Amino acid sequence: MPQHIFSDYDNAIRHLQEDLLTMASLARQNLEQAMQALLRSDTDLANTVIAADSDVDELERKVDQIGMEILVRFHPVATDLRLIIASMKISTNLERISDHAVGIAKRARKINKDQPMQEVQWLEPLYALAYALVRDAMDSYTNHDPVLGQALHAKDKELDRLHKQLGRNLSNQLETAGTRSDAWLHLIFIARSLERIGDLSVNIGEETVFLESAKDIRHEHRKQAVDPNPPPQ
Amino acid sequence: MVNHLANIADPLPPAIRIDRLCFAYQAKPALHGVTLDLPARQVTAFIGPSGCGKTTLLRCFNRINDRIPGARITGGSIHIHGIDINRPDIDLQELRRRVGMVFQKYNPFPKSIYENVVYSLRLSGIRKRSQLDESAEAALRSAALWDEVKDRLHSSAMGLSGGQQQRLCIARAIVSQPDILLMDEPCAALDPIATLKIEELLHQLKEQFTIVIVTHNMAQATRCADHTAFMYLGKLVEFGPTLQIFQTPHDPQTLAYVTGSFG
Repeated sequence: MPQHIFSDYDNAIRHLQEDLLTMASLARQNLEQAMQALLRSDTDLANTVIAADSDVDELERKVDQIGMEILVRFHPVATDLRLIIASMKISTNLERISDHAVGIAKRARKINKDQPMQEVQWLEPLYALAYALVRDAMDSYTNHDPVLGQALHAKDKELDRLHKQLGRNLSNQLETAGTRSDAWLHLIFIARSLERIGDLSVNIGEETVFLESAKDIRHEHRKQAVDPNPPPQ
Repeated sequence: MVNHLANIADPLPPAIRIDRLCFAYQAKPALHGVTLDLPARQVTAFIGPSGCGKTTLLRCFNRINDRIPGARITGGSIHIHGIDINRPDIDLQELRRRVGMVFQKYNPFPKSIYENVVYSLRLSGIRKRSQLDESAEAALRSAALWDEVKDRLHSSAMGLSGGQQQRLCIARAIVSQPDILLMDEPCAALDPIATLKIEELLHQLKEQFTIVIVTHNMAQATRCADHTAFMYLGKLVEFGPTLQIFQTPHDPQTLAYVTGSFG
């Protein structure tokens, strides 16, 4: 990042980025611990995730506050403007990822009240892919890598495919479940959360592409799916 | 963060206390009962449309308005560090040493860079070369100009760029170690880069001085002022932390001005 003549401007941008990266690290940790709470039947860990969410919420407020202050004070343009806008949007996505992690932790806590279910492991591949999407999304932002940011969409499609497949299996189990129908329902919602985390990661990747190359690729894949002959750029 | 600006607690007593100040140019009132405490060691910006009284108020702080025939304070008071500066026994030269001023148009004397900086020291009777050298270097360093001029201190100041000349004027104003630095649109004649250099300089200087700046440039106020006062028709409409004034102004007139709805 080039230095500005006005050092306070650099300080403000540095604070914004530091808070955003802290937020990303906490959101990833919350997701990781929420899924460990499920996969290892660890209710204490689930409680830890639920308690930690307020830190992410606070950071989201802080990123927005700093972003607003930078907009008001320094009137950023070009890459600076995109950096501020993209960072604020990314923080919203990270907060929602953390919310999903909390949702998973709460459902894990409920499932853990009964006998351990071996079938929770069915969610592991979905989780691995969702986690990789979050990691790659933040890597694309920190490494200024729009190619990686754009590539997330393909990975998300794979996540959607896995989710559909797993959703069918879980629904089948729910239909035949006896006393543990609640647990199967929780697993369906956890799978849904993991799929949404993939979507939110794609959003972060799209913001990185916007930040690095000033291209707005949101909804592009949907447009292309509808229109096989898009107009020349 | 950033917000080291707006959230600063004010640990020092106000540098300037203005109490119900009224001012008139002959029969024409220019300020109507302005009451305001200006925080020490911070940057305060006065904003407002032309003719609102911001420069008049600024020029009251070192009584430079005294030079205008018929211009006078018609009520109220100004205290600087507890002293009523309109007392008849005030030493104006000492007041102006303690309250330095930088003007809109950079105005170096047609002398060398060095002589410009040490001018006020010579006037006050300092002759010792080592003391003059030391003070000149310190002032030029504080004005972020030393590195650019250290090898040509005895060249004419008129050969400097506009931005450098204005920083030289700042060095000249701070060499006598004032408490307060008044700046009347100090960047109005400068290009954007020179402007940013001056603004960055203000950020450094506020550690040593209380700075009051009049500006038409609202972006400049947001960038470098801790507090902002909005004036209109000779009255103080609103005063507060700069971010509050520009993010959530309390007065509808301030809102209209900062959003560009009038002025």
